[in-house]
Amino acid sequence: MHIPDGFLDVKSCITTGVLGVGTVAYSLRRTKVSLARPEVPKIALIGAFIFAAQMLNFPIAGATSGHFLGGAMASILFGPAVAVVIMSAVLIIQALIFQDGGLTVLGANIVCTGVIGSYVGYGVYRAGIVLLRGRATKVVSFAAAWCSIVAASCGVALLLAWSGTFPLGVALKTMAGWHSLIGIGEGLITAMVVAYLMERNVAFENLPSSSKKGASAT
Amino acid sequence: MSQQQPVEVVTNKKRRWLVMAIVTVVAAGVISYFASPHPDGLERVAENHGFIDQAKTPSWTAWIPDYEVPGIKSPILKVGLAGVIGVAALFGVLYALTRPLARRREADNHGKGDHHPS
Repeated sequence: MHIPDGFLDVKSCITTGVLGVGTVAYSLRRTKVSLARPEVPKIALIGAFIFAAQMLNFPIAGATSGHFLGGAMASILFGPAVAVVIMSAVLIIQALIFQDGGLTVLGANIVCTGVIGSYVGYGVYRAGIVLLRGRATKVVSFAAAWCSIVAASCGVALLLAWSGTFPLGVALKTMAGWHSLIGIGEGLITAMVVAYLMERNVAFENLPSSSKKGASAT
Repeated sequence: MSQQQPVEVVTNKKRRWLVMAIVTVVAAGVISYFASPHPDGLERVAENHGFIDQAKTPSWTAWIPDYEVPGIKSPILKVGLAGVIGVAALFGVLYALTRPLARRREADNHGKGDHHPS
């Protein structure tokens, strides 16, 4: 759901542009605090995977297609701050090199598919893990990804309405409607990749409490 | 509220990351050609409600518009090459961006590098 140039008015472009720059800066700072070096190639590879998967439009009802977005998957794997960095990199390269998503609406795309997608996905995942006490992680990942897509599409709908492109009620209904179908694909891919790339935290389960992560030295 | 005790963590199994890398390159380089050409969710809504024509495509930066490398005849090659270029660009950009942000240590408790006298 990359917004092209021309769908949003000047005030939404500027507002989301400022919001986008702000959240990316914040996410980079959070990433700097938490990132360990062995994660670097994994993060780069997941960014590449998300780009590749976004190319693969799959058909849904009525001569319409949808594609994976990946914010929920990235945030489940690496946390929401890294996910925002990954998603922003994907969106910037798509807009700059591939003409997918406009330049004036880059902030809007980062806010919707990057920030909303990542944080909603992460929130639902964490809530599901706590509620189900770590059971049924595939179902939880699926739900997190589905919610992230629908929430991101509602964000786009709000911006379309705010720009006067489209009345709010219809915008929300149609965007959420189509993306609740696309969300099924998002959920399936997310659940598969997360199940493949994540494992039980053995270090936490087996080590005595004396060897807890000592993060005192910076 | 940094995740103190995550139930699950990202795997360190090299083989699984290698599989991901292969899947990524094959998806971008080959499967991308078979992607559905239909409009996506937002484009469908824009078409149905008559504002698709408001879309503008600025072309001055886009070297590879619409995921097709210009100047290549074979349809599968021009899409596949665009995919591979994008994959390489993302890997490179994210690696270069996050590497300086990462702390140097390999892992917290393995203690190979630290030299405590006792």
